[in-house]
Amino acid sequence: MGIRAVLTRLAGGAPQPVFAVAGEGGLPALRRLALVEGIELVSTPRAASTLLIVGRIPDALNDPLRQIHDQLARPRHTVVWGEQSFSPLPRATLVAPGEDPIPALGQRDRDHEAGEAPAMPDADPHPWRGVGPYGQGGRGMTGGTPFGRALTGRADDRDGLTLDQLPLAVGPFFPALPSGLVLHVKLQGDLVQDVSVGENPFTRRPGDPPLPAADLALFERALSEPVPIAALELARAAHHLWWLGQALAVHGLAALGHRAWRLAADVADVADGPAPFHAAEALSRRFDRLEIAVRCSRVLSWAIAGADSEGHGLPLAVVASRGLGPVARAAGQHEDARQLDPAYRALGFQPVVHSQGDTASRWRQRLAEIRQSLQLAGAAAEAQGPTSTPSGLVESPRGPITPAGHGPSHALMSLVADLVRGLEWGDAVAAVTSLDLDMAEAARPVGAGVAV
Amino acid sequence: MAAYGAAVTVVLASALAFGVLVWWGRVLGGGSTASPAMATPPERVPFAGGMSPEFHAWNRYHVRYYAMALLFLAFDMEMVFMYPWAVVFVREGITALMEMAMFIAILLLGILYAWREGALRWA
Repeated sequence: MGIRAVLTRLAGGAPQPVFAVAGEGGLPALRRLALVEGIELVSTPRAASTLLIVGRIPDALNDPLRQIHDQLARPRHTVVWGEQSFSPLPRATLVAPGEDPIPALGQRDRDHEAGEAPAMPDADPHPWRGVGPYGQGGRGMTGGTPFGRALTGRADDRDGLTLDQLPLAVGPFFPALPSGLVLHVKLQGDLVQDVSVGENPFTRRPGDPPLPAADLALFERALSEPVPIAALELARAAHHLWWLGQALAVHGLAALGHRAWRLAADVADVADGPAPFHAAEALSRRFDRLEIAVRCSRVLSWAIAGADSEGHGLPLAVVASRGLGPVARAAGQHEDARQLDPAYRALGFQPVVHSQGDTASRWRQRLAEIRQSLQLAGAAAEAQGPTSTPSGLVESPRGPITPAGHGPSHALMSLVADLVRGLEWGDAVAAVTSLDLDMAEAARPVGAGVAV
Repeated sequence: MAAYGAAVTVVLASALAFGVLVWWGRVLGGGSTASPAMATPPERVPFAGGMSPEFHAWNRYHVRYYAMALLFLAFDMEMVFMYPWAVVFVREGITALMEMAMFIAILLLGILYAWREGALRWA
């Protein structure tokens, strides 16, 4: 049938909707995959036909993962990239770490009549049965537990009324929050009245397999040996550009986010590859155009500006004292480990600082640091490759790191609860996104990674 | 074509009704009324990142645009007064214009008061 074949081919050419879940060490591979033409990373499992799991999933995240798997509409398909076996979802397709996952993502298993079977048992998590023959009546319809779930409690409103307050757990795989972050929020309307951060699921336990290479392995190497400054600064710019793409996607500017990711991939290729660092000049010009597009977006400025200005959120002094890296510099702290390095001082390095300490400040800070890193890389490339001085203190993109201690995300995590309390939900997500957290990094000691 | 209009309408409407009844009968008579895409209870849990909700989402929350809605109602009644005025306006000329301008100016003072008191701010 000619028309059927034509339509099938047209439908097959549409991008694959994939819901991606990043475990430990999975983020770098996932970012590259986001740039592939035939794949569309969607923000809810309801819109996806394939579940992609990259990186190691600790045992604490098995139940949420099974729940996410069931929330994909049938017919569904699961691909696990990088593991030898995967016990929570035994019917998943396994792809070895070095292989290309694209063919597995596009494959449809025609033997299953309705795609994969559900991973969770077919039982109501909140069972309730009334008195009558059709399940109606009985205790619980008013003031009890209707349909098994309790009604919400009450709390005071900001206008002196007493209204309902909904406790909700926004889970480890919420696309707008870092992977592994659980926020237990008490919502009144869309105002977050109280919040507590769930335990970090990536916390190491004895018997866990060895850690994959750190996301910031180059900076950990710079703790003990000299590393070319151009490579360090390009890696820093690439990290901030990956953050920028993710943050733009969270705020709805997916196309602009893709542009940022493509630039990040090109910067990372120059940083890692044997190519000379002279390419930093062209990348700098591309970034200038991208920055203009980001600054001109009214929607983005409205989304970010309402966040924690006007007296909500944390006071400036608290952010300055408890923050690290770009978060502290956006709150007025002139602290940057690079200014202690004579090689950086010879290039004329001065830390970039902003004074407001809110979400908009952190965005401006990171954009300025990307520009500064690309300029430093260009200057270092011209000056015949100066190298950093190993001194036991290195400024990584998220904050300073020392050989014995946790990654900077560990300290930044303590800011989340106080930052988010009192904000509306959209502003809360914007504030958490602007912190640039990585839950896996928060749980790992510096320098403990084994190169894969 | 117009001669067949009624017949076409009847045929289409009855085909639609028949289809609805067949589908309804399938839903009533057949086994599970759930769609095959979300057959088990865990599949129907709303997506919140992997955790399932413990409480109902049947909440009452503050209607923050209440003051704005009352203001709109008051000025809607002002507009009602403007309708008969519009009918006689051309005949009455400049006098009618000045009287309506005075009426609107008095009500505009009310808007200014509400604005300064913060009634137009929602959050």
